[in-house]
Amino acid sequence: MREFMNYITNAFYGATGWNEDNKYNELNATSRDLIDFPLPRGLRLTLSSLATPHFATSYQLGSVGVVDGSISYLHSSIPLTHIAAQSDKIPLPALLRCYRRLHDLRSPGQHYMLDADPLSAQSAQALLGAVSDTSLANGTLVGGNTGQDPSKYTHSLLYGRLYLPKSLLEGMVIKRFTQALQVQVRAVSEQSLRNGGTMLGLVQYDKGKYGLEGLYSTDGGLLGFRGLYNFGGDASSSNYDPWTTAAGEINNNANTGNGQAVEKERIYGRFSVGGELYYGTLNKSGGMSLGARFATLPAHRGTPLTATLTINPLMGNINATYALLAREYCSLATRVEFNVYSYESEWAVGMELWSNRRPAGFLLGASPSNDPAEPAPQPPKKKERSFQAKMEWRLDDPEPELEPTTAPPKSETDNKEQKNDEYKGVLKARLDNNLRIGLLWEGRAKSLIFSLGTGIDLHKLGEPFRSLGLEVQYSS
Amino acid sequence: MAFNFNWSPLTADAGFYERARDLLTTALNKSPKPPIIVDDIFVTEFNLGSVPPDLEILEIGDLAEDRFRGIFKMCYSGDAFLTLATRVQANPLNTYISAKPSFTSPEPLTASSSLTIPLQITLSEIKLSAFIILVFSKQKGLTIVFRNDPLESLKVSSTFDSIQFVRDYLQKTIEAKLRDLIMDELPAIIHRLSLQLWCPDQVQKEDEEAKEESDAAVNPLATPPLDAVDAHGHRLDPVEISSLSLDGGPETQSLFSQKNLEKMDALANAHRTSSLITPNILEVVFRAWAGQSDKADATATPSASTPNLHRTSSYLGSPHTYTFSDNSSQASGHAPSRPTLVSMGSATTGLSLGSGRHSKAGRKKKMRVVNLRSKTPASEPVSEVGSTSSQAGDSSSEAASTRTPMSEPVIPTTIREAPEDDLVASQSKVRFRPAADATTSPKASDSSGSRAAVPSVPVTAQPSRVASPQEHVYTRQPSMFPSNPAPQTPAQEMPPSYSSRVSEKAETTAPIYADAKAQQQQQQQWGRAGPQPDMSSVILEQAWITKIAGEIARRVYDEKNRNPAFWEDSHQHDIPPPAYEPR
Repeated sequence: MREFMNYITNAFYGATGWNEDNKYNELNATSRDLIDFPLPRGLRLTLSSLATPHFATSYQLGSVGVVDGSISYLHSSIPLTHIAAQSDKIPLPALLRCYRRLHDLRSPGQHYMLDADPLSAQSAQALLGAVSDTSLANGTLVGGNTGQDPSKYTHSLLYGRLYLPKSLLEGMVIKRFTQALQVQVRAVSEQSLRNGGTMLGLVQYDKGKYGLEGLYSTDGGLLGFRGLYNFGGDASSSNYDPWTTAAGEINNNANTGNGQAVEKERIYGRFSVGGELYYGTLNKSGGMSLGARFATLPAHRGTPLTATLTINPLMGNINATYALLAREYCSLATRVEFNVYSYESEWAVGMELWSNRRPAGFLLGASPSNDPAEPAPQPPKKKERSFQAKMEWRLDDPEPELEPTTAPPKSETDNKEQKNDEYKGVLKARLDNNLRIGLLWEGRAKSLIFSLGTGIDLHKLGEPFRSLGLEVQYSS
Repeated sequence: MAFNFNWSPLTADAGFYERARDLLTTALNKSPKPPIIVDDIFVTEFNLGSVPPDLEILEIGDLAEDRFRGIFKMCYSGDAFLTLATRVQANPLNTYISAKPSFTSPEPLTASSSLTIPLQITLSEIKLSAFIILVFSKQKGLTIVFRNDPLESLKVSSTFDSIQFVRDYLQKTIEAKLRDLIMDELPAIIHRLSLQLWCPDQVQKEDEEAKEESDAAVNPLATPPLDAVDAHGHRLDPVEISSLSLDGGPETQSLFSQKNLEKMDALANAHRTSSLITPNILEVVFRAWAGQSDKADATATPSASTPNLHRTSSYLGSPHTYTFSDNSSQASGHAPSRPTLVSMGSATTGLSLGSGRHSKAGRKKKMRVVNLRSKTPASEPVSEVGSTSSQAGDSSSEAASTRTPMSEPVIPTTIREAPEDDLVASQSKVRFRPAADATTSPKASDSSGSRAAVPSVPVTAQPSRVASPQEHVYTRQPSMFPSNPAPQTPAQEMPPSYSSRVSEKAETTAPIYADAKAQQQQQQQWGRAGPQPDMSSVILEQAWITKIAGEIARRVYDEKNRNPAFWEDSHQHDIPPPAYEPR
């Protein structure tokens, strides 16, 4: 389960039109989420509130043998009015993220400007929880990118969190300077750390087609540089330029839309390649890796899939992942790791299964309205639409060229959205080569979002349960 | 005087290496490891080699069957080797990330992927040159202190020998680590190992005591002193002593438990410091008490003769009681540190009495109190005892009291020679392993039945305790005192508070005597023992013993007074003479 503050931060990204996934270290985010989802430990209770559109608080109380807790506050300079913060209204897919669809390379603002009806776009965004500012969209619509007021982007976010028994303080500042530049500073202060704490500075530059990131950590004087370059699919369109004027954009999209309509019949996706390089100036050590990803775009008609391959040439590590959205309610992921030096290998598989039965997914008592409607319609068409809906849940925007194709059943799409909104729970499972099983059941019961997880070790059948945890989250 | 250092038993004993490997492994994994080491450190091979170290004895500070203190110079350049195996994380970024809070982690994608490399390090061609101070005592095990940095050089070979800078780094780091290990950890390991070997509950494995220093080490219960004393320097009856055994019942275990020893120690210290608060020893367990039950096991004699032995030892015991009460109060401060045990060789026989043992143990508690009262008129040094043990009055116990007059004056005439003979015997030779071979033959002879021969058993076979106090007092006091553990000191500082001390001790001895008599009574009840020794000799004997005791006490006291500075000085000298300081 994503923490509430994480959710709000993502909402801030959405509101300022920042594509947080266009980074190298999010290259294999999909399989990571599907396989390495964190299991709750002990009992944890979170009370959160988006008190004003600018201000959010969260209190957490946990007990893993000892009672601990944390208090966190968040301030955003941009009003986060468009998101659902109440725990009975938060769209579960936004919170219990699983298969992550590709964002469009352009900012949502530009995207929605193409939408005929801004209001509908905004409502969709509100459901998604990852949305553009209306004013931003309007500004883009009116003035275009180049003529845009830079102050629209100069928003900032402040976040602080105090863990109580440990006296550990976390702080984060996110400052957006221009549309393409964002700076993050994170700091942790704790007595046990060397020098009393560490700081991490990140400079992120996102040009759509490529994203660059530089970082510096005070711990060991670590310098890092990461870059991601996209090509193929929508990024390789010859006349693609994300920051052209709105009018040109429309024309371009109209042109490319025709081409893509043909391509969609085949497998249609985007390639991304990237690399990272680190060097510790104080301890004279470093590291690097290279990676590539292919992911289908939301416009793809077939089964959405994501495949990544990363190589660490220094350590001889090869890591390949493959994730796909088998059904709209089912995602699968596998990962294989191999080290050419030590011949060590690992594999892991992960799965998530959504359910719209009540209560909270998988217990008895299917809701009567959903079940008959779900299996009845013709599969291919429904599948396509469901992806569409899914994409929208994930902050994804409908391709402009999809508009004509999906235009006739628009109302049906809305129905789909509503239907999908009735997802009550998700079951996640993973298994790795050490025969360790992780099970996580998350869902909504009344207005509480819960997460119940356990780790099972099949090697120790005597006492297989390694961990057991329950997280309950309430927000208003 | 000759020492026999045996190096080969170390290598011959297969179990030794296993134990040593285990101990080393646990010692290496005890402290939290740096994140670069991702696995436990295992000691895969460990061999002390076939070349023994050159050992040069610089000084022997203290020498007894159960104690040893000396300074050695050791040079070693043998073929011992040690192989460690573990796995290390080769990716520096991985260890960097793992040690950082996740909030400020740079979150690398796969740049921090782990690469674990098995690492094997072999240490060989170890050259040592050290001054070793070795202190051995039965109760406290073996303590080794290095007075200098013993490591001269060693060769480190590892998996990464082909890489020059890694090899140099490992060589440097491991040398530094090993110095720490030898200086700090190794003494602790050896101490633990020695405790395992000589700890009372494990002494049965006597064959495992084949350690270099253990030539001086024997079963503490196998070589009993003649003048056994308890923790307060009080004389123990050899009946009780002889019945001490290591594999005894639960009482015996508790006798040797560290907790009790500590309490005894605290009690003794309380006397010295005039502390008002003395530790409350709830179920007072004295050596004599616990030992009684196991007498049979300790004897090496044929089981048929055990009843006789019981009685003979009781004969021996009584006279020494009187002797010692003076002796200990004056000078024999070292005595408490010795196990007060009768030499019985390896505990082999005595099964015949084993059955009766525990029943005796059950009765002892009552009897020791009862007997005390009836006994007090007979023994004059203990005469103070009677007044202190008020509980003796209300303890009206069963059959025990009836026999006490008879059991008290059991003093054979031959005792007379004991002190002189012992003195001669113990001065003439220092034996590290007298128990098994030396004691058995006299025992056998005494088991043949002649009562006259019985008292001679300790004289010939056992390096005596009556003699050794004198010996220590007159000849070896200077070197002995530095090594004296704390509990001994009260006895040394006796004179100032002598009277109060005596009463204290009387309390503690009271049960002992009671036990002795209980023992005798039981023997009599069994009916196997012969008639009690003739009463006529008793008076004469006691008078003589008193005289001897007084004489000894006087001589000791004189000696002490003659040069008091020496005594105090030697008391403070805990460090060796400067000649043996490390260079």
